[in-house]
Amino acid sequence: MTEDADKRQQFETEALVHMDALYGLALRLTGGDAARSEDLVQDSLLKAFRAWDDFRLGTNCRAWLMTILRNTFINEFRSAQRRPTSVEYDEVADRSVFAEVSSVDPEGNFFERLIDKEVIAAVDALPDDFRIPIVLSDLEGLSYQEISEIMEIPVGTVKSRLFRARKRLQRKLYEYAVEMGYLS
Amino acid sequence: MSDICPDSGAIPCEEALERMYEFLDGELSNDSAEEVRVHLERCKKCYPYFNFERVFLDHVRSLRLPPETTERLEARIRKALDDT
Repeated sequence: MTEDADKRQQFETEALVHMDALYGLALRLTGGDAARSEDLVQDSLLKAFRAWDDFRLGTNCRAWLMTILRNTFINEFRSAQRRPTSVEYDEVADRSVFAEVSSVDPEGNFFERLIDKEVIAAVDALPDDFRIPIVLSDLEGLSYQEISEIMEIPVGTVKSRLFRARKRLQRKLYEYAVEMGYLS
Repeated sequence: MSDICPDSGAIPCEEALERMYEFLDGELSNDSAEEVRVHLERCKKCYPYFNFERVFLDHVRSLRLPPETTERLEARIRKALDDT
């Protein structure tokens, strides 16, 4: 086998097997945009292929690819932003729904009745500035420090974005649960 | 929940609430987390609220990231690799 064919073969076995996982992450980062997610996965895998000689076999290939995809996404996201967005302060949206449900469902059992598809749709519908920290923190399990480095924002900003993002997501899920009669 | 509970430990409710997500995310130092824990053991107001937020977060986190299959994408990427 030639060296190129060897490299390609190795890449297929080690890296291409993670394509579905990469696409899963891309879909959540882009808020469910299939076309953009496909481009993102392709760009990331081509970057990985070009850098394949730097990748040390035996280390965590999936984590390496996820990092490339995450960085590719954030770079595109940042360069597309002409000016920093400011998400409007909304007193109601930023408040916990606990006060509203504490008399009927203080333990939040209604969350269990929501199916994954409904929660994913609610995450996808969040504005970028709120969705990205939630995906990185709650779905990918990254620390505040890691999110701060990836997004190039201070840890304090990560904290406040996460706070507001979660409150908004929670309210969306609550409103949906009310609509579906999950709280009755 | 903005009142200061009597006998609620080293920190008042405001302080515990301020640290809520950091506490639930495991982002606090041991000492700071311990102060919140002590507060929650004693505060009848904050405990149910923290518990509700924990249930919410657990539910969102349980989603993780399911892999998504796309045969079209696979064909596209193999072709792009052929062309490199």
